[in-house]
Amino acid sequence: MNGSFKTKTKNKNKGLKLSSPYLVWSLIFIVIPLFMVLYYAFTTENGTFTLENIKGLASLDVLNSLLISVLYAAIATLLSLILAYPLAYYMSTVSKISQRTMIMLAMLPMWMNLLIRTYSLMLILENNGIINNILKALNLPKAQLINTPGAVILGMIYNFLPYMILPIYSIMTKFDYSVLEAANDLGANGFQRFKRIILPMSMPGVISGITMVFVPSVSTFYISQKLGGAKTMLIGDMIERKFQGEVNYNVGASLSLILMVLILISMAIMNKFSGDEEQEVLM
Amino acid sequence: MKKNIIELKNITVAFGEEKVLNKLNLSIKNGEFVTILGPSGCGKTTTLRLIAGFANPNEGDILFNGENIIGIPPYKRSVNTIFQRYALFPHLNVYENIAFGLRVKKVPEKEIEERVSDVINMVNLKGFEKRDISKLSGGQQQRVAIARAVINRPDVLLLDEPLAALDAKLRKDMQVELKNIQKNLGITFIFVTHDQEEALTISDTVIVMNEGVVQQIGTPKDIYNEPKNAFVADFIGESNILSGIMKADFLTEFSGKEFTCLDRGFKENEEVDIVVRPEDVDIVPSLAGMLEGVVTSVNFLGVHYEIIVDIGGFKWMIQTTDEQKVGDKVGLNIEPDAIHVMKKSKYSNLYGDYSSFSDEIEPISFNNEGEI
Repeated sequence: MNGSFKTKTKNKNKGLKLSSPYLVWSLIFIVIPLFMVLYYAFTTENGTFTLENIKGLASLDVLNSLLISVLYAAIATLLSLILAYPLAYYMSTVSKISQRTMIMLAMLPMWMNLLIRTYSLMLILENNGIINNILKALNLPKAQLINTPGAVILGMIYNFLPYMILPIYSIMTKFDYSVLEAANDLGANGFQRFKRIILPMSMPGVISGITMVFVPSVSTFYISQKLGGAKTMLIGDMIERKFQGEVNYNVGASLSLILMVLILISMAIMNKFSGDEEQEVLM
Repeated sequence: MKKNIIELKNITVAFGEEKVLNKLNLSIKNGEFVTILGPSGCGKTTTLRLIAGFANPNEGDILFNGENIIGIPPYKRSVNTIFQRYALFPHLNVYENIAFGLRVKKVPEKEIEERVSDVINMVNLKGFEKRDISKLSGGQQQRVAIARAVINRPDVLLLDEPLAALDAKLRKDMQVELKNIQKNLGITFIFVTHDQEEALTISDTVIVMNEGVVQQIGTPKDIYNEPKNAFVADFIGESNILSGIMKADFLTEFSGKEFTCLDRGFKENEEVDIVVRPEDVDIVPSLAGMLEGVVTSVNFLGVHYEIIVDIGGFKWMIQTTDEQKVGDKVGLNIEPDAIHVMKKSKYSNLYGDYSSFSDEIEPISFNNEGEI
């Protein structure tokens, strides 16, 4: 008994040593900045404590931005799920070689920087962009694509879709095929098998996919600026403007705080659905 | 005479060039405990999957109660399967796993409750209803798998090596339990295994398969005592298989001596295979026996000794309770009813002598210095 206890503490120490570079990193770049956000959010420019920053956010503008951000992110997440789920299922059923190729193709856009991807989308959607040039060549009327909510949502889907595909696919490849056969064997037709077995078994992957698409979508500012024009002001844009344009760290920090709380709440809701298996997939 | 519930007619299944089943013919009687026995790759699991509906033959017919069922999907067949690794639904608890078949058939909730509680009692899982599948032992998972299948009251239950993952003692208990369940339900069990001892213990009828072909169908006693060819004799139990000549009815010659036997109906001087089971040979003092040989190895197995005796270069295995020493000269006596004569087959001369126990091992060779 004593021996095994000793090995355990020893392993713990070893683990601590191994992870110490990252712990230092996260202290400097994650923990301290988080406290700085808190500090700025609850202080005036002179550094005295105040609740005015937070109170001042109770305006229609902010509420509007929050609502639009959540709405756009939710639509983008839902559409990503609709696109990714059948694809992931299909991928999990084909041969290993095809699986590798398809994963490659799904991952390929992720190797490019998000800014470049968004720029290229701009080129496609612009008033004199590729799509409108094609329409023109076909003697069709021009379409307003850029600077619309649709363009912003398209940008979110385009950029974050792989984060939906991967977790769902990875959980589906772990399915024991005989479990699916067992469902058929016990009398379930294709639809019942999907509803009662495949869907619930893939839920942890779906939940982590939703989290991984929703969170970056709800907080994005770049995509909305490039594809949504000045009209769409997402919460991310608002924060960016406070820091970059108005250089008002205190209001910016309180906006960030609200966004963080929003994300934490949505993650908590997600976790309620998924139990503890989700962690496995996220890792 | 019981009715045939399942008949496979001229079934061929090929994966690419390789024929897994080759013109297989098979009929299974209603209400029997039937075991399909064979080495891995013999086509037994494929046969099961054909009956379940997970695979379709390239050629041939599958009749279920006289009707062809090829093309009918698994969920419409009155057949349920117990899978090798149970294939329980990981996201459902014990109760919901068992209730699954009834739920998809939209059986009223009240009836589901009654039937689930019945089968849970039958497999002794009372109190485990709310338990997570992952928190069950192998034996308990096995019971859930049985309950989940039999609750649907299938006409035929297919069992794909269901006991392979259990330890030896639990396995024996489960064999008895399966047999009892089958008797009580009165339905047909088709049990697939590569374990010959299990097959003999559990079955009414044993179907021995190899290379996609049925080698022999019979009761466990038939299969053991009257194997049809050298493959069956070798696969079921231990056996000394020798080449011999049938001199006349009731008279055969092998190992250079003539023996009285109980077999007849062969041509005069027909070449045959002779099977002598190790437990049927008596060891007597040297010169007093019908055959003479030298003991080359002695293994103590608890119940008896397993002795290898070299007779004219052929290594016999003999099971006896008398200890012998390596190098001893001994005599062997073989009674007429211990000799079983078989027609020559393509398996002749492939098996037989006990230079090694399996056909796969290559003896380790030592060089002069005693190094490997």
